[in-house]
Amino acid sequence: MTSRADKHLIRRTLDGLYNAGGVAAAVCLVAILFVIVAQMVTRWTNISIPGLNEYAGYLMASASFLAFAHALNSGSHIRVNLFITALGEHKFWGELWCMIIGTAASAYLAWYSIRLVYWSNKLGDLSQGQDATPMWIPQTPMAVGAVLLAICFADNLVTLVMRGRDNIGSDAIAQSHGE
Amino acid sequence: MAEFIPIAIFLFVLFLLLGTGVWVGLALLGVAFVGMELFTSRPVGDAMMTIIWRSASSWSLTALPLFIWMGEILFRTRLSEDMFKGLAPWMARLPGGLLHTNVVGCTVFAAVSGSSAATLTTVGKMSIPELRKRNYPEHLVIGTLAGAATLGLMIPPSLTLIVYGVTINESITKLFMAGIFPGLVLALMFMAYVGLVSRFSRSYKPDPEPVTSLIDKVKNSRFLIPVLVLIFFVIGSMYGGFATATEAAAIGVLGALVLAAGQGSLNIKTFVESLMGAMRTSAMIALILAGASFLSLSMGFTGLPRALAEWIGSLGLTRFELLMALLVFYIVIGCFLDGISSVVLTIAVVEPMVRQAGIDIIWFGIFIVVVVEMAQITPPIGFNLFVMQGMTGHEMNFVARAAFPMFLIMVVMVFVLIAFPELATWLPANIRQHAGG
Repeated sequence: MTSRADKHLIRRTLDGLYNAGGVAAAVCLVAILFVIVAQMVTRWTNISIPGLNEYAGYLMASASFLAFAHALNSGSHIRVNLFITALGEHKFWGELWCMIIGTAASAYLAWYSIRLVYWSNKLGDLSQGQDATPMWIPQTPMAVGAVLLAICFADNLVTLVMRGRDNIGSDAIAQSHGE
Repeated sequence: MAEFIPIAIFLFVLFLLLGTGVWVGLALLGVAFVGMELFTSRPVGDAMMTIIWRSASSWSLTALPLFIWMGEILFRTRLSEDMFKGLAPWMARLPGGLLHTNVVGCTVFAAVSGSSAATLTTVGKMSIPELRKRNYPEHLVIGTLAGAATLGLMIPPSLTLIVYGVTINESITKLFMAGIFPGLVLALMFMAYVGLVSRFSRSYKPDPEPVTSLIDKVKNSRFLIPVLVLIFFVIGSMYGGFATATEAAAIGVLGALVLAAGQGSLNIKTFVESLMGAMRTSAMIALILAGASFLSLSMGFTGLPRALAEWIGSLGLTRFELLMALLVFYIVIGCFLDGISSVVLTIAVVEPMVRQAGIDIIWFGIFIVVVVEMAQITPPIGFNLFVMQGMTGHEMNFVARAAFPMFLIMVVMVFVLIAFPELATWLPANIRQHAGG
C-alpha cells in the first residue's frame, strides 16, 4: 500500500474498507476466545448456555471472510511464485492473468454468498443446533467479507492495468507462520 | 478413451491455475468449479456455498486461529533470549555442545507454536549470533536450526495437523497426541547427529564454555519455567481429557498473555500486532480451506479418488510399497506447494486409498506431516529456507545444502515410523475422555 499523503479519496475509502474488515475480523477472533472460555467455564460449573459451539463456528466464518481482503492487500495469501518470477520483465502479463482469474473467482463467490443469505432469509432457515439462530444473520458477515474480497480484487485489477502494478504488499511472515 | 477427456481437462486446469500463480485458495475454487460443470448438472454455485459455509463455520476449526494467536504472542516476548540463556548451561557438556540448544530450543518452542517458520525465527534470533560468536561451524548452525524448526509442525500444537484433522473429520486431540513421541524421537535423532558430527568433524572446534555450578544452571533457566508450565497445561489438559483441542488453544492464549504480561513485554502495541498477525495468517489458511472444501466435493463427482483407490488396489501393492509411492509423491508436490496446500489438495484423493489399504488414519497424519516437513527444507520453495535466508543473508544454495543432512534424517524418521507405528498410535489410544469431542 502506498503511504503518500495525497492519496486519492477513492483509494483512502477502499483501503479503509479493507482495514475495517481486518479489524472486524480481529474482534471476531477475540470473541472466539471469549466464547470458548465461556464454554469451558459453563461445563466446569454445570451451567448450560445452549449453542456456544455454533456461535464459535459463526465467529470463525466471520473472522475468516472479513479478513480476506485485508490479507490479500498485505500479501498474506499464498500463491506459487515460480512462474511469475520466471517471466522476468514480462511479469505484468502473468499478474494480469492471475488478477483476472482472482477477480472472476471472488466475484462468483461473492454473488453466491449474497444469494445464500437472501435465500436463508426468504426461507426462514434456522440453525440445526441448539441455538436455533436464523441462518442469514451469521451468514451476512461471510457475504460482506466475500464482497469485500471481490471489490479488492477488482480494485487491484484496475490499479494493475492503470499503473502497471497492484496494491499488494509482501507479507512473507504471515505466509510462513501458516507453516 | 473418451471418458478420460473430462479428467484430463480437470487436471490441466488444476496445474494451469496453481502453476501460473493464482492464489491457492481461489485456484482450488476455480478447478472445483470446472470439475462441477464437467461432471454434474447440479446448480454449482449454491452447492459451493453450502459446503463452504459448513466447512468455514465448523467449530473444530476455531483451534486454528487460537493456536496461531498463542504463537504470535509468545513470538513477541523475550522468550528467544530466555530460551538460549536457560538452555545453554545444560547443553554445554553434551558432545556437540551448544548446537543442541538449536534442537532443544526448537522442541520447546514447537510445543507452544504450530508453525515451523515461527519456531525457526524465535529460536534463531538468539542462537545464530550466539553460536557464531563461539565459532561453531556455520553450516551446522544453519542446518540444525532449519531441520529442527520443522518440529514445529509435528509437536502439538500443529497447524498442519489441525488442517488435516478438520479435512478428514478426525479428532484433533488424537492427532496431537500422536505427534508427541515421533516429534521427540526426531529431536533425539537430530541431537545424535550433532553428537556424531562433533566427534568426527575436524572443523568442529567451538570455544569451550565456562564450567557452571548446578545452582547457576538452575538460576539461568528459571525464566524457562513459565513456558514449561504453559506447555504442561496446554498438552496436559488435552491428554487428561479436561479440554478439547480448541479449549486447550484458548487456555494457551490466556496463558501466553499472562506470561507476556509477567515478562513486561505485553502492551497495547504487541497485543494488537499479535492479534492482527494471527488474523491474517488464519485468513490465509481459511481461504485455502474454503477452496479445498469445494474441491473435495467436486473431486467426489469426478470419480477420481475412487478410481485411483481401485487402481492402486488392483496393483496389489504392499502397504510399504504404497507408502513409498506416497513418500515420493509428497516430496515432489512439496517442491512446489506449501505444506497445508499440499495436504488439502491431495487428501480427497489419498484418503480413500489409505483407508482401503488398511492404514491407520491417525498414523498417516503423522506420516504426512514428516513428509511435509521435509518439503520445508527442500528448494525451490521450502519456507524454512526462505526464512533462514532472510535471517542469515546466505545464498539459498548454501542454506539448502546445510539443511540436506536433516532432510536425510527425516527420511530415516519415515522408516522408523513405518517400522514402529506404535510411536504414533500408542498415546492417542490412551487419552482419557472427559470432554466431548
